Amino acid sequence: MPTLHRLTSLPPLPDRIWQATVHPTLPILALACADKAVHLFSLTTFAPLSTIDGGHKRSVRSVAFKPSTPSAPEIVLATGSFDATAGIWRHDNVNAENSWDGPVKAEGEDDEEEEEDWRFAVVLEGHENEIKGVAWNAGGDKIATCSRDKSVWVWEEMEEDNFETVAVLQEHSADVKAVCWHPEEDLLASASYDDTVRLYREDFDDWTCISILSGHTSTVWSIDFEKPHPSTLHDHSHSGPCTHTHESTTSRLVSASDDTTLRVWHRTSLPATKASRGLTPSIIRGQVLEEEWETQSVLPQVHTRAVYGVSWSGRSGRIASCGGDGKVVVYEEREVEGDVQESTDKPAEAAAEGAEETKEDEKKKVPAKKTEWVVIAELEGAHGVHEINSVTWSRRWDKDGKEGDEILLSAGDDGVVNVYTIE
Amino acid sequence: MAEMDNANPTVLAASDLPTRKPLQKRAKASQLGIFASIPRVSPVRDPFTVTPGQLYESDTSDSEEDFELDAEGDNGVEEIDSQEIYDLIAPISDPEHPLSLGELAVVNLPHIYITPGNPISTVLVEITPTITHCSLATVIGLGVRVRLEQALPPRYRVDVRIREGTHSTGDQVNKQLADKERVAAACENESLMSLLRKMLEGCK
Repeated sequence: MPTLHRLTSLPPLPDRIWQATVHPTLPILALACADKAVHLFSLTTFAPLSTIDGGHKRSVRSVAFKPSTPSAPEIVLATGSFDATAGIWRHDNVNAENSWDGPVKAEGEDDEEEEEDWRFAVVLEGHENEIKGVAWNAGGDKIATCSRDKSVWVWEEMEEDNFETVAVLQEHSADVKAVCWHPEEDLLASASYDDTVRLYREDFDDWTCISILSGHTSTVWSIDFEKPHPSTLHDHSHSGPCTHTHESTTSRLVSASDDTTLRVWHRTSLPATKASRGLTPSIIRGQVLEEEWETQSVLPQVHTRAVYGVSWSGRSGRIASCGGDGKVVVYEEREVEGDVQESTDKPAEAAAEGAEETKEDEKKKVPAKKTEWVVIAELEGAHGVHEINSVTWSRRWDKDGKEGDEILLSAGDDGVVNVYTIE
Repeated sequence: MAEMDNANPTVLAASDLPTRKPLQKRAKASQLGIFASIPRVSPVRDPFTVTPGQLYESDTSDSEEDFELDAEGDNGVEEIDSQEIYDLIAPISDPEHPLSLGELAVVNLPHIYITPGNPISTVLVEITPTITHCSLATVIGLGVRVRLEQALPPRYRVDVRIREGTHSTGDQVNKQLADKERVAAACENESLMSLLRKMLEGCK
């Protein structure tokens, strides 16, 4: 059985770290900290890069990088704070990757100058109280924020630094804890204190809730979509632990809850399938967009207290979780030997509800190999006696790593970030 | 708070409150139960006691003379007993009465449960609001949770719940009190914090 090997720990921050986020294409780690600042570290040297402070009046709860694209290579960060605002920060240096190696500090240069690298650009105001989550879509043109005020806001960048509110979604009945975008589609997910996950799409300039994922019995703290598997994108030789192929029609999401469990959800019907069922079309709501999502599996129960963080690796397809019990757990999907069948298996309660489905619908379901999730590594007391709030996977950038290696990072109440390899 | 939820609460005499002293009384106090035999140590001896963002300086005066530095438990971890937990939270004053939570029997020694563990131990405190529709139950619970989180070493997980059947919206209050993010955000809310500070003034 593989083990979680602690590669290193970053120098401790002065207060609780709420979230650790890795830039999608650069070796930069951003930490949302209760000291009201965002702390940036290099993932090539694990050295501190800079601190963005002075922008928020209360804890920074969430941080997200804008995906850099060839047409928009700039480095931009969004922060969400308990002070009810979100901030947009731009890095002035759009240089090559090697500028992220660590403190290149000339003699006599003080911290103040270093921090000038990051320029405050915009404040997004509108939420009534604490912002709990912020996320950038794959295209980099939209930001979602969520708050204790029960709403999810979608902001679109019309031109540089000009953000417009394109939706205020008030579907949840309580505090919204997290938002997450699909890695390819403009599909948004939100997780809430009301125990549900909700999905949204844009329908003729109007954002609507297209699915409600119910199953957890307490607050859903964290969600993450499955990423397009590198092996299915570029290489069909089926290397790696799981050869599960993902058609464009399938999509999955993992959720972590206060009920101590993690659930993997999959899309069982596409909008088109739903429309063909001849349901009464509604003019008011984008009925055609509605999707069915069901629990595909409940991950093996390891956590004994609330699960606060979850991350789905785009490299290995593994899922990692962390929580109030101080554990970091890694799960892997395995094919069940010699058993290839239609993915019609569902939890008992869902099977009963779905009984009225016609055979036509069944045919449209995507055939999938039968799989199961197993725990491949578990680390107890990963942050000593402290709770762990966030885990995230990253490409391994340091000099000792090989091409294709990945690391796992965990961030806790102790202000520490641990870096692990799985060996 | 112009109108009190409960203008005439039942009040316990200070002499009737559970205490470690006198010793003969303690021997009779069966509510100490199995925890009576667990070695005790003053929490303030723990270097981890002082956490960032602490409301007030931790005070050593609640480590009374008889809180000797006891022998360590079997697992080498020093355990805290329910009387010590009680002593930490009983002096918290009620937000609407000039009385303590101990005097109002909002916190009671038999409703403090410790699940020792290595390394993580759990403390569960069940609070009994003075009336079933007490609108301040959440604030009282928050005061208890904040007090214990600041006084206990970080290896303790603190759960504060409304004692079953004693509040009309107990489940809602419990869920809120169990939410670390809501608690953390509340601790950054200045008006709520000034109320909490006032409640915790008696905890010296």
